[in-house]
Amino acid sequence: MTLPQILVDLMKLLFDLAVPAAICTMVLAGIALRREGGVNFQAGGGFQRWALWSVILLTLPQFLSWFAAQGISMPGQGGNISSSWVSGVEASFNSFVTNIVVAKLSPLLAAFCVLKAALDGAEGQNPLGSIIAAIFLLSASGTVQLMQSWNSGSEFATTDMLTSAWNFLAGTILPEAAGLAVVGAILNYARHKPFMPLVGSGLAFLSVSAIWKLVQAMAG
Amino acid sequence: MSLSSGLLNLTSWLGNVIMPTLAGLFAAAAVYQFSKNRHHHQFAYAALASLMCSGLLRAMESFANQSAWNNPDRYWISILTLVNWVGNVLLPLYGVLQVVLAVTHYAGLLERMTVGEPWVRNLVAAMCSFGLSGLLRLGEFWIQHGTAGVP
Repeated sequence: MTLPQILVDLMKLLFDLAVPAAICTMVLAGIALRREGGVNFQAGGGFQRWALWSVILLTLPQFLSWFAAQGISMPGQGGNISSSWVSGVEASFNSFVTNIVVAKLSPLLAAFCVLKAALDGAEGQNPLGSIIAAIFLLSASGTVQLMQSWNSGSEFATTDMLTSAWNFLAGTILPEAAGLAVVGAILNYARHKPFMPLVGSGLAFLSVSAIWKLVQAMAG
Repeated sequence: MSLSSGLLNLTSWLGNVIMPTLAGLFAAAAVYQFSKNRHHHQFAYAALASLMCSGLLRAMESFANQSAWNNPDRYWISILTLVNWVGNVLLPLYGVLQVVLAVTHYAGLLERMTVGEPWVRNLVAAMCSFGLSGLLRLGEFWIQHGTAGVP
């Protein structure tokens, strides 16, 4: 059955908007990260959900190709949008994401996170959560670009991208977090607060892949 | 902008800029506590640790790098290396310090400085207050010349 052109155009529009939408969901993930603590996230919480949506949106064509491989008829994704009105909607949304969300809104939210860090410090709380959320928000579009480079192009691209994200966290982010753990341990020691949890977690940050292998070995 | 470079710069700034600066504050707090005859060791050690954040991180990395990244025993080995380091490096040094303290206690020197003769403590606190920058430079000197480890 041939689909009406307007439906083809709308589907093409939705596929084209996947990457800008992924940037939006990554910004929402940054906001959720701060709500959940900044230096940690809740299992099954908003940060995980928005980050997962970013991955799904970035691998949408490959995600649908898995359904096609199961014998389910999927609409074609090629071609151009013929309707100038639909093209205008796409251009407007792209412009909104590039010129407002990435260029203006995200840095503004990050700036408010810095303000929040100062106020957290004034209340005697840890300002690090807000600072890390600010860095996450500022790098949202860069993170999406990085995630696009992890797209394997196969029908399992979604899970491949999640695996790459885990490797990036374990191999790049957590060793940097070990430095923050050392700083935190020294500050806690000076303030007569428990510092050994930070020493132990610093060592764990440097060997999280090995701990994963250990858990796998335990599970048999 | 990337998340990893942002976090790396944050860590470097905290460890190499802010903590060495705070070392001066911790040293000042240690001098003040000493002048009041209170426990001052914690601040003194914190000042030294603040000057060697990078070194402490390198130490943790060397503890963790004793085995391959995918070795299931890596975390255990890293804790074991930490325990070995504490037992075979730190404790002997601490033991030497205790021997020195034993001699000075036997001679009655510390009792006169901290309890019996407050004027000595006040004099030492005043000297430390006037020479805090020098004390910090001394700590930095020790750390710079200690990168090769204990012979």
